[in-house]
Formats: sequence, C-alpha cells, structure tokens
Amino acid sequence: MSIFLGYVATILVTLFTYNIFTLGLNIQFGYAGILNFTVITFMAMGAYFYAVFVMPPANASNQVFYILGLHWPWPLASIAGIVASGILGYLIGLIALKRLRSDYLAIVTLATGTLLYGLSGDQNKLFDGWAGLFSVNQPFQSVANNHPNTFSWIFVVISGVVMLIVWWFANQLYSSPLGRSMRAIREDQDVVDAFGKNTFKVRMMAMVIGSTIVGIGGVLTIQYIGALSPAGWTTGETFVVWAALLVGGRGNNIGAMLGSLLVAVIFNEGTRYIPQVASSPNLVPDLRNIIIGSLVILSIWFRPQGVLPERKAKFFELPLKDKYAQTFGGVSANQELATEV
Amino acid sequence: MSNILAISDVHVAFGGLKAIDGCTFEVEKGTITALIGPNGAGKSTMVGSIAGAVSLTSGSITFDGQEISHLPTYRRAQGGLIRTYQISREFGGMTVLENLLVVRLGQSGESLINAVFRPKKSKTETNALVGEANEILNTFGLYRLRNEYASNLSGGQKRLLELSRAVMAKPKMLLLDEPMAGVTPALIEILGQHLLDLNKGSGMSMLLVEHNLEVVDKICSRVVVMATGKRLAEGTLAELRSNRDVVEAYLGGEVHERIGS
Ligand SMILES: Nc1ncnc2c1ncn2[C@@H]1O[C@H](COP(=O)(O)OP(=O)(O)OP(=O)(O)O)[C@@H](O)[C@H]1O
Ligand SMILES: [Mg+2]
Repeated sequence: MSIFLGYVATILVTLFTYNIFTLGLNIQFGYAGILNFTVITFMAMGAYFYAVFVMPPANASNQVFYILGLHWPWPLASIAGIVASGILGYLIGLIALKRLRSDYLAIVTLATGTLLYGLSGDQNKLFDGWAGLFSVNQPFQSVANNHPNTFSWIFVVISGVVMLIVWWFANQLYSSPLGRSMRAIREDQDVVDAFGKNTFKVRMMAMVIGSTIVGIGGVLTIQYIGALSPAGWTTGETFVVWAALLVGGRGNNIGAMLGSLLVAVIFNEGTRYIPQVASSPNLVPDLRNIIIGSLVILSIWFRPQGVLPERKAKFFELPLKDKYAQTFGGVSANQELATEV
Repeated sequence: MSNILAISDVHVAFGGLKAIDGCTFEVEKGTITALIGPNGAGKSTMVGSIAGAVSLTSGSITFDGQEISHLPTYRRAQGGLIRTYQISREFGGMTVLENLLVVRLGQSGESLINAVFRPKKSKTETNALVGEANEILNTFGLYRLRNEYASNLSGGQKRLLELSRAVMAKPKMLLLDEPMAGVTPALIEILGQHLLDLNKGSGMSMLLVEHNLEVVDKICSRVVVMATGKRLAEGTLAELRSNRDVVEAYLGGEVHERIGS
C-alpha cells in the first residue's frame, strides 16, 4: 500500500512539473512563436543552480566538485535557481532574438543547449560533470528522510499549488494586451513592428518568462528527487515537452496541460511497464520514443491544432450606435462574395 | 502649407538593382497625395523605405519635422506613421476584432505587471477599444465578420481588414499600398469615400499608391508619378494628363482609355 501511495505521489509530481514545463514552452512558442529547442536546459539550470546554492561547499575528499556551495536555506536557493534560468533565457534571447528569424533562432537555441550540456558534463568543476549532483538538500529534509511517503504527498501539494499559480499567471498573460501582442508577433512579426511595438522587447519577455517558468519546474524536480545528472536532461526530454505541447494544443493552456498528461505521464511513464528484455536493454526506451514520435506525427497529421486547439477570443460588446450596421455589413459582405465567384 | 513628409534624394538598391534612384517629393500636411507609376517603378519600395522596412542606400526622409531615416520601424510608427501592405498581411490566427485591438498603442495592459496583476483596468480599456474597433469594422463592412479568424476572410475582405487595422492605429499619416486592389468596383467607391471622410474629419494625411486613376481623380489633390525609381512628374491629375513624358512613360495606351483623353 505504502509503495503504491508513494508511486501515485511520484506520478502526480511528474505530471505537475511537466505541466509547468509545457506552460512555459506554451508562452514561448504557443503565444510568441519562439522555437525554443532546448527547453530542458532551462529545467536543468534551475535545478543545478538551486543545488549549488542550497548545498554546503563541495568536499574535495569525496571526489565531488561543484561551484558555489553556499548552503543557503531552500526557499532562497529556490529563488536563485529560478532567477538563474530566467537569466539564461535572457542571454540566449540576446543572441537569438535580436536579429534572427524563427528557424535560425531554433538552431541557436539547439546549439546553446548542446553547448551547455557538453560543458556541464565535461567540465566536472561546474556541476560534478557526468556524475551529476546528488544528496541535494530537500525542503523538509527530516520528513524526507524519515517519512518518505509523507514527504511525497507534501510535495504533491507544493508542486500542485505552484502549478496552479503558474497556470493562473499564464492565463492572465494570455488574455491581456501583452499576450495579444505576443500572439500577433507569432502571426507576423514585421507587421507588429510596423504598428509601433518593440517586438524585440515583447519576444524577449516571452523568452524570459517561459524560461523562468521552466526553471521553476526544474527547481521542483531536483527538490523532489534530490539529484540530477546530464542523463536526466538529454535532448530527448526537450522532445517530450514539445510533443506534449503539440499534441495537447499550442496556444491553449489547458491543452498544454492535457498534453503533458497524455505524453509525459501516460505514454512516457506508461512504457516503463513494458517488460524489460534482457538481451536488448535499449528496447523499452526506444519503443517509448517510437510511440511518442508516432503520436506527434499522428496528431500533426490529423489534428494539427492539437487535442484542444487555441480558443477564439470573445469580448464584451455593446450594440453598435449605427442602426444601419447590420445592413451595410451584409451588403458589402455579399459584394465581397460576388468578387470571389 | 507645411509638409508632413519630405523625401529627399532617396536611393535604394537591392544588390545591383536600383529600385529607387534619387527620388525627391513632398506630401503636404492634411492632403491625400497619390503615388502612381508603372509596375516596378519603385512605389512599394518607397512605402517600405518611409515606414522603415527597407533601408536607404542614401538620402533622407523627414516626417513631421523629424529626420526618420535612421529610426527603427517601430519608432516611426510610434510617431504616427502607419502603412498598409500591397499583399494583405493579416494576423491569420486571430479574430478580425483582435487584429484591430492589438495595434492600438499605449494600452496599459501591455506592461507585464498590469497585464497580470491589474486585469480590471486593462479590461475596461479593452472594452472601450472593442467599441471603437466595431465602429471602424462597421464602416469598412466587416462588422459581421468580427469574430471570424482573419485567415478565413476572402481576398477582398482581407484588403478591408488591412485598411481597418491601419485606421484603428490612429495614425497622423497613412501610407496605403494599393488598398483597392482586388476590391469590387462598388466597394471601391465606398472605400474611397471613407478615406476622404477620414482625411476631412481628422485631417489624416495619406500617401496613396494606386493604379486605379478614377480613385486617384476622385480623392487625391496631388499626384506624384514615379518611373524607374525616379520622380517623373508631379501635379494634379489634370495637369499630368497633358504631360507628354507621363503619358508616354506610364499612362500610355492604358490611360488614354481610362481617362478618355
Ligand atoms: N526585396 C527586394 N529584393 C530585390 N529586388 C526588389 C525587392 N523589392 C523590390 N525589388 C525590385 O525593385 C523594383 C521596384 O519594385 P516595387 O515593388 O517597389 O515596384 P512597384 O512600383 O511597387 O510595382 P507594382 O506596381 O507592381 O507594385 C522592382 O524591379 C523589383 O523587382
Ligand atoms: Mg507595389
């Protein structure tokens, strides 16, 4: 029973953190059209920076090396982790958003992500290289040590609440004039520029907000697991987040969350139950990628807007002052139809 | 008799091709000035250079007393200079109404803090804008389609949206690149009248690129003729009809028919 409870808690925490990742990516891609092909790097930066702020100085006699080791209390370290991923978003934005259009931008994000991945793996003085960081201080450490299930359920609540706050924030942004500007930039950046908006600034906002949100998910992830190594944030993980958003419905926050339920939890976690075949240990992970890949292809083919497409904006409207409104609208519309024929 | 726009010896080259080759003209404040010329004369390139989408090789552009040729596009628009495109560029994945709402500058909800934490204030503003936008859509015959995705409009309807959106931005000056192309003759008449009303009502200046000389005749007080990247002539349409160069270089047979001279 207790194993089962712990398992359910882990599934829920996974769901909530993936919800946060997809909501962050949705602001970047679904709102502003920014192709961030290294989502998971921001998760990793949030997690790593939380870790090096919360852990005591590295103890060289254990052959474990990392920067900082400031031993801050976990709430402050959480903020540090989140800010770090926001700053990384800003720096990548400086390179990628100033001059580059979407496809080049995608390549820049991919390149920076790969670079940071290699750097944090090969340079073991940063975040302990390929071995990664472990025994990272968790919130409520004594509960975590003595009552792991209680800790898990506390964490379900924490990550659930954080997820709801992020969701609320994302919705507020979406329906605001700022969110509208972001979506217009997604449709045609030059035109928004020609109407007097500083599109670089607006895109940068989407980039930084999205990165910060993904970083929040990263901090939660390492707080829950207590460890992270480069194997935990490969390009494949970015692919899972993208798949979740595309399948669920870009531009729709509920869709993003539904997508992470379908892709990240049901398909990603579900495939763990396929029995291992001893002679081919890679079979299951490969199957997982095949299944998620097919899901993305099928959904783009049959439902390109995702399971829950972006919703049409509706506004509060007063009737028109002009009483001939409907008539004229009708007349000209008919004329238009006539042109088309 | 002051100028709102002054183009002075502007050159624009695309690689080896001189799209604008030393062009100079002015637009008087509060007028609708036509910019006509044969295909490839450089009219759209001129509109692009004024708006900031195309950078000058040399020359200067003064708008409302300020040299703007070094300013980024969005700053020119903030100064009240708004353009439309020869090929419609609607925000396809947004509704017609949203296409208009998004272009109004200075909305409080464009700042992140207001957007997230003061939605009431920004909602009140938006409601007022919706009213304004609906009036404009009504004028341009798109009211019925206000909640339709812009990508679903017909070609002609997209032209109307292009215009409505530009009007919603409340510019000091409008640069209109063939706004009537693809619009039915009956509607052209109505649109022409609306442009004239806007011009008379709010004193909005316009530079109108247009091939339809009847429209030009009706609503433009002055006409600038461009050919091969240069200003060929300038005057009222009546004066230009008797200008040999213009008739030969541009008007040719086509125009003899159209104006019947
Ligand atoms: N982006 C570009 N790159 C290269 N050449 C261009 C570009 N834009 C325009 N040109 C060239 O510049 C010249 C002027 O083009 P422009 O579009 O300004 O003409 P126009 O007067 O608007 O013609 P039309 O009446 O057909 O719209 C043409 O020879 C065109 O091929
Ligand atoms: Mg043109």
